[in-house]
Amino acid sequence: MTMHVPTTPEFKANAHAALGNANLQAALRGSRGNFVAKRAKARAALPEFDDLRDRARDLKNAVLADLDLYLEAYERQVTASGGHVHWAETAEDAQRIVLEICRAAGAATVNKGKTMIGEECAINDALAAAGITPVETDLGEYIVQLRGEIPSHIIAPAVHVTVPEVEAEFRKAHTHLPPERDLSDLAELLREARGVLRAKYFEAEVGITGANMLIAETGHSVIVTNEGNGDLSQSLPRVHIVMASLEKIVPTLEDAATILRVLARSATGQEMSVYTTFSRGPRRAGDPDGPEEYHVVLLDNGRSGMLGSDFQDMLRCIRCGACMNHCPVYQAVGGHAYGWVYPGPMGAVLTPALIGVEAGGQLPNASTFCGRCEAVCPMRIPLPAMMRSWREREFAKHLTPGAVRYGLGIWAYVASRPALYRIATKVAVAALRLLGRGTIRALPFGGGWTGERDFPSPQGGTFMAQWKARR
Amino acid sequence: MKLQGKPMPAPRVALFVTCLVDMFRPSVGFATVKLLKDAGCVVEVPEAQTCCGQPAWNSGDRETAKGFARRVIAAFEGYDYVVAPSGSCAATLAKDYAAMFEMGDPWRERASAFGARSHEITSFLTDVLGVNAVAQEARVVATYHDSCSGLRSLGVKAQPRALLGSVTGLELREMAEAEVCCGFGGTFCVKYPEISNVMVGDKTRNVAATGAALLLAGDLGCLMNMAGKASREGRAFRARHVVEVLAGDMAGPAIGDAK
Amino acid sequence: MSARERILGRLRAVVSGARIDGREARVAERIARAPKAAVPHQAASAGTARMTLFMTKVEAAAGTVGRVSAMAELPKALAHELRRRNLPAVARVGAEPAFAGLDWGSIELSRGVGRIEEPVTLSRAEFGLAETGTLALASGPDNPVTLTFLGETHFVVLREADLCGGFEDFWAAWRARGLDPRTINLVTGPSRSADIGQVLQLGAHGPVALHVFIVADPGDIVVPPT
Repeated sequence: MTMHVPTTPEFKANAHAALGNANLQAALRGSRGNFVAKRAKARAALPEFDDLRDRARDLKNAVLADLDLYLEAYERQVTASGGHVHWAETAEDAQRIVLEICRAAGAATVNKGKTMIGEECAINDALAAAGITPVETDLGEYIVQLRGEIPSHIIAPAVHVTVPEVEAEFRKAHTHLPPERDLSDLAELLREARGVLRAKYFEAEVGITGANMLIAETGHSVIVTNEGNGDLSQSLPRVHIVMASLEKIVPTLEDAATILRVLARSATGQEMSVYTTFSRGPRRAGDPDGPEEYHVVLLDNGRSGMLGSDFQDMLRCIRCGACMNHCPVYQAVGGHAYGWVYPGPMGAVLTPALIGVEAGGQLPNASTFCGRCEAVCPMRIPLPAMMRSWREREFAKHLTPGAVRYGLGIWAYVASRPALYRIATKVAVAALRLLGRGTIRALPFGGGWTGERDFPSPQGGTFMAQWKARR
Repeated sequence: MKLQGKPMPAPRVALFVTCLVDMFRPSVGFATVKLLKDAGCVVEVPEAQTCCGQPAWNSGDRETAKGFARRVIAAFEGYDYVVAPSGSCAATLAKDYAAMFEMGDPWRERASAFGARSHEITSFLTDVLGVNAVAQEARVVATYHDSCSGLRSLGVKAQPRALLGSVTGLELREMAEAEVCCGFGGTFCVKYPEISNVMVGDKTRNVAATGAALLLAGDLGCLMNMAGKASREGRAFRARHVVEVLAGDMAGPAIGDAK
Repeated sequence: MSARERILGRLRAVVSGARIDGREARVAERIARAPKAAVPHQAASAGTARMTLFMTKVEAAAGTVGRVSAMAELPKALAHELRRRNLPAVARVGAEPAFAGLDWGSIELSRGVGRIEEPVTLSRAEFGLAETGTLALASGPDNPVTLTFLGETHFVVLREADLCGGFEDFWAAWRARGLDPRTINLVTGPSRSADIGQVLQLGAHGPVALHVFIVADPGDIVVPPT
């Protein structure tokens, strides 16, 4: 079955390409600081914000402590409301289940609301391979689909695309419209997309959405959006499929409110997204609209393995994107450099857990551990500590590059012997001063630094030697 | 001296000088000693110190890191406080050492107790010793970079600014994105030099935009990274460790200058 | 063993070593008790402050809002808004009883689900949340969900008595009203997207404009607990 093949091992090469991509850099520069300022403003306007983050963390931890039972409670409610719950151990299983439902519905096209689980399972590729056309209805996802890409940000999928690039894609794809039409206005582009997708809403037999939350008390699935496409995708077709991973469960409607209060504020700085929709089962008897069938595909794909591990806290993630908005590495290279579905700090922790540390291990290394991600995470997830845990696993498996291991080994040997260390540092200082006083323009073996920076030369002597001399 | 209004014996402080200060800028170590002595501390420098072990810890080599931790804890036990002129090294001592050892390992308790006594220099002066002013003068426009570990692991933000505020004639201008990482990150700058270069370029641009003549921070790694970039770019501003200003040690060359 | 059993088995093995006793009671109690996290000050408004907050928040979300003295005055208020906005004198509604029996004058009302071209839709919200300027709509024959999303301009009626302070009293009132629609739609302002060039624009797929009529008609509505 088709799957997004991760290019995470090529992170450095991907990053290099990203740094040289003028369009991408323009897009990143344009959006930089935007989400940061908005979140800060929203936080300042709600005095209880940080307290709510603690509560959100605590309620999610309570769920994880009894995840099996909350899932069963949720399943009972979905079934009682006339819906169907399907359990998928792997992405392939999820593909198979979704295809079965779509075939049974005789679907020729499927409308997609934004779903990261759908991306994780490469559901569009699976549908297309089965002769079913997936139509992305989220504007950002639609743009990305036209470009043949995957999203570069978990809530702003097309953040890496400039406006001229959007216009180019629309002209290429919307061949039924007059080629001489004026698309210089952003409003014209929006109007065009709205018009093109409106017709598609009425064509599809199946609508697939994700779920920001699943509510154990009532069996609701919840989507948090701004466009309304997720709602049209689930209300017009005959069949509504929800794709959600196991850890999306919250106990009650009140708990959902706690999460909602920190979710949009952390993501875009809004107090509430425009549309927060709670869906429960198929249409009721007498309903004139709404789907006739409601299916929830619960995906494991590695989550059960994270429970009880050093990475359990990652299961608290509510996919707000605050971490990547505040990450200087993400802001420098954009989301595609990460090479798979989940970018930024949350991607650095989650990707090795889902695709293995051999394939995903580059990502937790591409961090300075500055900690800004953890500082803004609404669920208080200790992201740098978990990245460090991945590095520990790599070290134990001898995946750490040989040069790094060797260098660390030498350092450890010398630095564990103070007398030897004194001699070594004295020699090193003298050697560096031979290369230049004040500043060194080129370091042998240090091209990574001196390629673009000077290297300040040592003052002379060492503190420890001078201190000893003064005694 | 008095601590919180009560007469106390002079605190015995062990200086953890850090490998970067030891090798690249000993004057920072001496400025730190001066500040501690002026504040009424007895200062000693344990001879057996080398490195805090942060490179090993951050690279995932827990066993080597634990070895460093045990040696440092053993060499520095018996003092009232351990103080370092570095947010990242102080954070390693204060927070990471305890996390290195498993629950039940007696070293965990020892590391925890040791960590509780370990501090970064500026926050030690203000938060522990109650020093909120230094009698120094420096007629210069400066800006302050918040090194990540000090800021987020130890909460060092207001303290250096409070002390700098007491320096006569010093005008402190905040740069845009003062709290954003400079791209040093220990091994990061050599593992991912391209990305590191972009980050430090953003940082020197923000520093220059303030018009400040002097860039200050509490971590020499960050300072060397930013000074090195500024030098390559031909920027006008100079970089010093914050203790140099606070101790009145501005005569010597700034970081990366021959004179 | 099914996928379900394997997944639950893996989870149980971690959580309790496959034992369930005691935990089932804990989970059931937690769900039934539905504890509230600390209610933010913003969600605890009352009286005129609540009304003012709600209206401020609706406008902050790019919606518009006006007060109507009684349900009987709604058609006139709607006609006024349609004229002001240069919209045709039409409205698509569901079977909402509050709209039946009103004198709609020159407004041509049509009843049914949303269609591909839908200039004006009119719904009634079950509740409002002053905390965020949010409307809570229940899908169903009275207020079909497609009217909420397909109208170019969406008009929503909210009874004053149904305005809650925030999520906590809203959920309590919702449960007390005993509703079970297919969807609960929490709507805050008109549809929007910033996906093109990171510039915010209204009217992505849902309505371009949202207007709320707050009706001060007690009717026979149960006052929600405060």
